Amino acid sequence: MDIVAMHIPDGYLGPQTYAILWLVMVPIWVIAARKVERTLKTKQIPLLALGAAFSFVIMMFNVPVLGGSTGHAVGATLIAIVLGPWPAVIAVSIALVIQAGLFGDGGITAIAANCFNMAVVIPFVGYYLYRLIGGDEPSSSRRAVGAGVAAYVAIVAGAIVAGFEFGIQPYLAHTAGGQALYAPYKLSVAVPAMALEHLLFFGWVEAIVTMGVVAVLARTEPELLQMKPAARPLRWLWAGLGALILLTPIGVLAPGTAWGEWSSEQISARIGYVPTGFETLGGLWRAAMPDYATPGVSDTSLGYLIAAVVGTVLVVGVTWGVGALLARRPGDDARPASPAAGPPAARAG
Amino acid sequence: MSAPLSRCQTDIAPAVNRRGGGRSLARKTADSVGHAVADVLQNEELAARPGLLQRLDPRVKLLTLLLFAVTASLVHAVWTLVALIGLTMILAAASLVGVASFARKVWLSAGLFALLVALPSALDVFTPGPAAVTLGPVSLTEPGLMGVATLVTRVVAAAGFALLVVWTMRWTDLLRALSSLRLPDVVVATLAMTQKQILTLLRTVEQIHLARESRTLTRGTTRENRAWVTERMAFVMRKSMKTADDVYDAMLARGFTGAMPSLVTLRMRPRDWVWAAASVALCATVIAADRVVGP
Repeated sequence: MDIVAMHIPDGYLGPQTYAILWLVMVPIWVIAARKVERTLKTKQIPLLALGAAFSFVIMMFNVPVLGGSTGHAVGATLIAIVLGPWPAVIAVSIALVIQAGLFGDGGITAIAANCFNMAVVIPFVGYYLYRLIGGDEPSSSRRAVGAGVAAYVAIVAGAIVAGFEFGIQPYLAHTAGGQALYAPYKLSVAVPAMALEHLLFFGWVEAIVTMGVVAVLARTEPELLQMKPAARPLRWLWAGLGALILLTPIGVLAPGTAWGEWSSEQISARIGYVPTGFETLGGLWRAAMPDYATPGVSDTSLGYLIAAVVGTVLVVGVTWGVGALLARRPGDDARPASPAAGPPAARAG
Repeated sequence: MSAPLSRCQTDIAPAVNRRGGGRSLARKTADSVGHAVADVLQNEELAARPGLLQRLDPRVKLLTLLLFAVTASLVHAVWTLVALIGLTMILAAASLVGVASFARKVWLSAGLFALLVALPSALDVFTPGPAAVTLGPVSLTEPGLMGVATLVTRVVAAAGFALLVVWTMRWTDLLRALSSLRLPDVVVATLAMTQKQILTLLRTVEQIHLARESRTLTRGTTRENRAWVTERMAFVMRKSMKTADDVYDAMLARGFTGAMPSLVTLRMRPRDWVWAAASVALCATVIAADRVVGP
């Protein structure tokens, strides 16, 4: 059953990687189970089971994209929006375990890696971005747009993490002669390859599905989208962003340039000449911080950190601005959700 | 459980080619759902056969096959991995699951995909080294091709052990094994319920798509199809949440306390101990031999 492009089969990740991811996932599952138990009580079993079943089934739908092509969605952001991120960790993990155990889709040793990428990274990034854009009392259109943007960014984030897991394999395990023992592509190829296919195709499938379903639910079952007004709803997002920023100097580990991102000098060194179009258009734009280097800072790692902070501030600022603009659009359906009708899960943020 | 709807109605549903090309979107989804349900039924049938692995205690079977999968990830020599692939074939034959279909499944779904993904990595731009095959301006290098061979054989060996778990173990036995291995009751109960609800929701999805297939004359635009698909997904989500409420009410009505008692008590027999000891010894031998012959 060929469903999505992010399931890692057995054999691609070495034991150093999948063992660490098992060690990471076990406490996450324990924390998720405790959080879910506290918020959902005895109702957790059917709700999580149906959430997991929905998570599995949504991957079976063929979604039309462009020119007759179709794709499948993961749906993890959608599950997180409806159930909350912690229940989504459990529901999507169970769906992935069943895919591996019942249908043989995805590896057994790689279950923890798949769960980390699809049941942790995607739900958390997607849920908190959705809240960031949607706000606490969003209109239906802002809610739908927020869900689409969140789903797109979240699946690309998941793909980049998977690409990172693939890309570190040649550094962790190879023979003296340079022969790869697991996934063979280095970070400079694996991360852009995974990111590109999700930026160009799978991200759009995810965005279309999540935006479409949230728009329908906002119209017909708004209580399913009712969010819990948490005291500090975005603290995990900020903590995650901070951790990612601190990790950016890892990029220094990757030697050379990402595949396809060569400068004119590197192109010339590879193929012996610089194509005319490249030469003409290449100098049109001069980046303020080329190659993530900060002007005046000689330390590469520090330069990466500063570039990450600047980039994050810009992205968050623009996203906030777009969200604020969307919220002010006239004619939005601002019908308040029924506070009594929703199941506890709908407020289990 | 009856046969999947898409299989039953293949002859009467207006299947393909209304406007040229292949299957319609609805037929494509209904078919893939039908195949998924058929796979589950086939797995249950294979797991009921009186083969070698089917007769083992489910806990021993799960742990030893997992041990073999981990061993496949630890060894480095292609020949060691080829030997492990041979072992999966022998186990498939001894478990009466059909060697040809087993080999087709692991080689075509896992092996071929790994080959297609990994082959470009053998080019000299990715893996430098002595050229093995020259293709005009580029060449496939010896370490590159050895890396591809290692990955493909590793993936096929690991996929073989994983498929043996799926094909020789009933879902209820797997849950029983997980439960006796101290997985919390709530997790086992959720897994059990999820499997049942997946089959129920799959039937719903299949019926939705077959209903559309039988009532549509044209394929519609991409935008129309997309709107239809997302509307149906929202319906399935609403149905899921409503079913969760209904199931919860039923659990309360029946006095569910959270405990998951089993009517079957798992008991280790001599053959289970022999198999467990043989598996551990074999894995240790394979790893030790690999250290000698490996790169």
